[in-house]
Amino acid sequence: MNEKEFGYQIRQALNEAAAALDYKTTYRLEQARAAALARHREPATSPAWNPALQTVGTRSAASGSRLGWFGGFGLAAPTVALIAGFIGIYQWQQQQLPERMSDLAAMDFAVLMDETPIGAYADKGFGILLRGETEDL
Amino acid sequence: MASRQELSDFLAGVERRAFKQAQYAVRDADAALDIVQDAMMKLAEKYSDRPAAELPLLFTRILQNATYDFFRRQKVRSTWVTLFSALSPGHEDDNSDPLETLEAMAGSPAAESAQDQVERSQVVAIIEEEVARLPTRQREAFLMRYWEDMDVAETAAVMGCSEGSVKTHCSRATHALARALKARGIHL
Repeated sequence: MNEKEFGYQIRQALNEAAAALDYKTTYRLEQARAAALARHREPATSPAWNPALQTVGTRSAASGSRLGWFGGFGLAAPTVALIAGFIGIYQWQQQQLPERMSDLAAMDFAVLMDETPIGAYADKGFGILLRGETEDL
Repeated sequence: MASRQELSDFLAGVERRAFKQAQYAVRDADAALDIVQDAMMKLAEKYSDRPAAELPLLFTRILQNATYDFFRRQKVRSTWVTLFSALSPGHEDDNSDPLETLEAMAGSPAAESAQDQVERSQVVAIIEEEVARLPTRQREAFLMRYWEDMDVAETAAVMGCSEGSVKTHCSRATHALARALKARGIHL
């Protein structure tokens, strides 16, 4: 008799022993099972937080037919919202562009109209002089 | 995620075998029942978010850990008992009755089977005794493979050892069991 056949024979005997448990033991096992089930957390049928992207690839066969369009909508809605957001940001930047350009032009003009020649800012000595004045302050 | 019904069905299907396995390990019916209850509660409480297909492996692992925890607690308890009994003035006032132990053994399924005088029951009882006598790792591997129907890889995962070790444990358990049963006049 090989190991597998021997294991099967032993299994038969152990199954008989398990089936012949006395009432007291089976009752206590039943109680233990009830106590364990009382601690079981039932999975929520409609989860409060369900990420739309999670529906991809995890849609069950049961929910696929009835809630298929809803799952598709769950995926499409955030995508549309994202694209709309990008378009909005682009539009806003376009609106802000002339205003910002006029600000920059005004700044350049102010620098040009200043008494300090613009070339002085590129001069190394002038930079050292400015740093010295800052430290004195 | 396993539903309550799935968990209930699973536990109902596995509880008797779990009890027997715990009993083979600890050799005490009450302790075995406590171990099984602990394992069931831990499974329901901490792993209820797992799919039903994962429950058998998880439960086997939890049951194994609960059994080891029992031995750890027993070791600590026996250490303290030994310490205090050594410090006590004498052992003359020991009120423990040896018959209590014998009564407990008489209530065990093995003894009941022997009293039934049914040949098959006697054989089953002897097989259970010999299974319980196997070294722990050999018994675990053997029972997982041939009683729980786990494959070598699953058994190795639960036992935390290599697949080769599982095969070795199973082979040794089979030979030891066959030898022991033959010595008691049982030929399978």
